[in-house]
Amino acid sequence: MTDLVFLSLATVTIASSILALEARDLVYGAAALGIAFLGMAGLFFYLDAAYIGAFQIAVYIGAVVVLILFTVMLVGPQLGEPPLELKRLSLLAAILVSLLLGTAGAVSSASAFPGPDNCGSGCDLIGLSNALINQYGVQLEFLSLVLAAAVIGALTLAKTDRKTE
Amino acid sequence: MGNPIIDLLTNTYFLEIVVFPGLTSIAILGALLGWLERKLTARVQLRIGPQYASPAGGILQMFADIIKLLFKEVTIPEGADTFFFIMAPVTALIIGAALLGLIPFAPGIQIANIQVGLPVFLAIVTLSPTLVLLAGWSANSKFPFIGGLRALFQQTAYEIPLWLSTLGVVMVAGTLSLTGIVQYQQNSGWLIVPQLLGALLFIITSTAEMERLPFDLPEAESEIMMGWQAEYPGPLFMLVQGPAFVKLYAFSALFTTLYLGGYLGPSPIPPILWFFAKTLLVIVLIMLFRSTFPRVRLDQLLRQGWTTLLTLSIINIIIAYFLVVGFPAI
Repeated sequence: MTDLVFLSLATVTIASSILALEARDLVYGAAALGIAFLGMAGLFFYLDAAYIGAFQIAVYIGAVVVLILFTVMLVGPQLGEPPLELKRLSLLAAILVSLLLGTAGAVSSASAFPGPDNCGSGCDLIGLSNALINQYGVQLEFLSLVLAAAVIGALTLAKTDRKTE
Repeated sequence: MGNPIIDLLTNTYFLEIVVFPGLTSIAILGALLGWLERKLTARVQLRIGPQYASPAGGILQMFADIIKLLFKEVTIPEGADTFFFIMAPVTALIIGAALLGLIPFAPGIQIANIQVGLPVFLAIVTLSPTLVLLAGWSANSKFPFIGGLRALFQQTAYEIPLWLSTLGVVMVAGTLSLTGIVQYQQNSGWLIVPQLLGALLFIITSTAEMERLPFDLPEAESEIMMGWQAEYPGPLFMLVQGPAFVKLYAFSALFTTLYLGGYLGPSPIPPILWFFAKTLLVIVLIMLFRSTFPRVRLDQLLRQGWTTLLTLSIINIIIAYFLVVGFPAI
């Protein structure tokens, strides 16, 4: 029974992820991405992490997929866009992001994520929040820096688009 | 060990999902809410409203309408995306019903009593703009697409104040569980008193999330002819209208749970009746908005959503902070 639930959720997630990459129609791709996120949320619910599951749905489907769909519909679905000529810049961005993520990973030491044995009654939501704010505050800031970089990048792209018009 | 089918039919969990508070009761109550809305709006406008479908004030009118719609021809618009066109309303109905699975109707009568009921409820709500946009896009028609885009603007803009307005309740009650919030109110009184601003914000933003007047821009009949619902034929139109009433029921039930003490009430009347009395009160209030206020413009809607409501919900969080920590001595 348990394996059946897990296997079906995993199948749905993987299959719709592949569909999201391979779909010709961008709208179908975005919808498949939404179903993949929903499958991930289902896995979180199945692992008794309903809080993370709820935010997986709210952030990834409620915001990210909606934005992708919105962009697709605003720009008009085009099949097979040519790749952008931004290779050097994207390489720089990739290095920066991996540096940030790497620093965050290094700051949290190997003992940062104890196994399930150490997880007693403190593993509830309040314990998680306390740990996130008190113990892992620096890492949290690094992650939000990544988000801020993404927002700044999006704004820059939007601005250059307007200039070319 | 008896017959497995009888075991299944008498299983409490099965009955809760299928009969009450699950699917059957949701369908019947949704239809009755449709009647109530028509009757109430008619009364406000000094009309009579539905009258002939039964002796009791036409209470069976919606059921008659459902039977009529079921026998209509299903026509799919030319060039429409059939898959999304049919799947979007079906999924929306499932989502609406899923919302009600999280509500504690009475002690013990709740399908899913999870620790984080409130964020899960709001997360399920965030699925709906995607579906409305897909429904509007798939019809391959002008007005549905405009309606779908409007729904997207509106619902994503009002989700943020909706989440933030409930945050006040969470901070004061100290729990994310809907049952826990009701139990907190048992000891400390209804949360509408300390969280009046939050309750007002919640009811405004949830009216916008439900696309009801004065925020019914996505389906404005006089501008874009029912918006994203315009192209839906008979039986599918019923599936499109259904979620609207299910969402009204679910949001009113959530308002009752968060701010009006849920099923709490003096004891001779059973808790479930208290719950439904309060929920009905909220539903009637939201229905009266429809016959009272004119529709807002899109720019007014978005400006108010992103500036006024967002600011007020942050102020509400500050109020909640002081309620938890204690007001500073002046």
